Amino acid sequence: MNSIHGNDEERLNALFRAYRDACPVPEPSANFMPDIWARIEARQSITFSLRRMASAFVTAAVALSIAMSVYLALPHSNPNYYQQTYIEALADANPLETPDIVGPAKLDISDPGR
Amino acid sequence: MLVEFDLIRRAQKGDSAAFNEIVLAYRKRILGTITRLIARPEDVEDVAQEVFVRLYFSLDQLRTAEVFEPWLHRLTTNAAYDYLRKQRRRQEFRMSDLSEQQVVMADAVAGGRVEHDEQHNKKIRESVDSLLGAVSEADRILLLQKEVEGLSLKELEKIYKVNENALKVRLFRARQRVLKAFAVQQGTAPVKTGQ
Repeated sequence: MNSIHGNDEERLNALFRAYRDACPVPEPSANFMPDIWARIEARQSITFSLRRMASAFVTAAVALSIAMSVYLALPHSNPNYYQQTYIEALADANPLETPDIVGPAKLDISDPGR
Repeated sequence: MLVEFDLIRRAQKGDSAAFNEIVLAYRKRILGTITRLIARPEDVEDVAQEVFVRLYFSLDQLRTAEVFEPWLHRLTTNAAYDYLRKQRRRQEFRMSDLSEQQVVMADAVAGGRVEHDEQHNKKIRESVDSLLGAVSEADRILLLQKEVEGLSLKELEKIYKVNENALKVRLFRARQRVLKAFAVQQGTAPVKTGQ
């Protein structure tokens, strides 16, 4: 069996050698070089379009970021609003002079007989 | 090297005339390699052009002109590999194409227009193509580069950037598979007894 296997090895090598000879190298056609340049130019135009689109997108993103930064950096109309504590804000919203809708219950302890 | 290093450096800087010279110097070699790798004469030129287009767009990635040749070989290998993968996807279509070609060939033979040598060569190409169907496209290319192109392990190491031992193992396995297919084709495969 080994001899058969060894024989196959040799025959396969011979087949590969024959294969090399059986593949004649074709002559390049007259359009070989012009076709290469046509392909290069086609790809360059695609790449160029993509680059322009990407560049426009980046410019728009940068402009938007700057606009948002400027907006956030602008002073707010009531800058102290969030600097108050909750109690202070509550006190401001309900000053003592403001009458309550339902007045607080008052306990009169001056007349102990009642 | 078929060209001077200086020519490659000029092409890298965008010199179109230098690029043209490189294509002229290497096109025959690239066409030959692709012919043997893909075994489809009708598509060889198309794949070769793709190699040079890829070369044009990636020249700026080449660090030194000294490694130009293995690098061009890698581009060739990749283009052939991409072609073979697409071919496998179109296999059904190609099969009908092939049978049509065979009909044309049979007609031609009957008419005595095709010489005996060409028939013989075609048979060899088809035989090897069929045997290489036993391995993946990547292994097919590797095996052909070793067995047919005659590249050494050192050269393959430079192209694939894989260590020599890994390449040896891969080549051995691919060759064993092809050898098995060859034995079946030749009728010398050991008969399984099922024990």
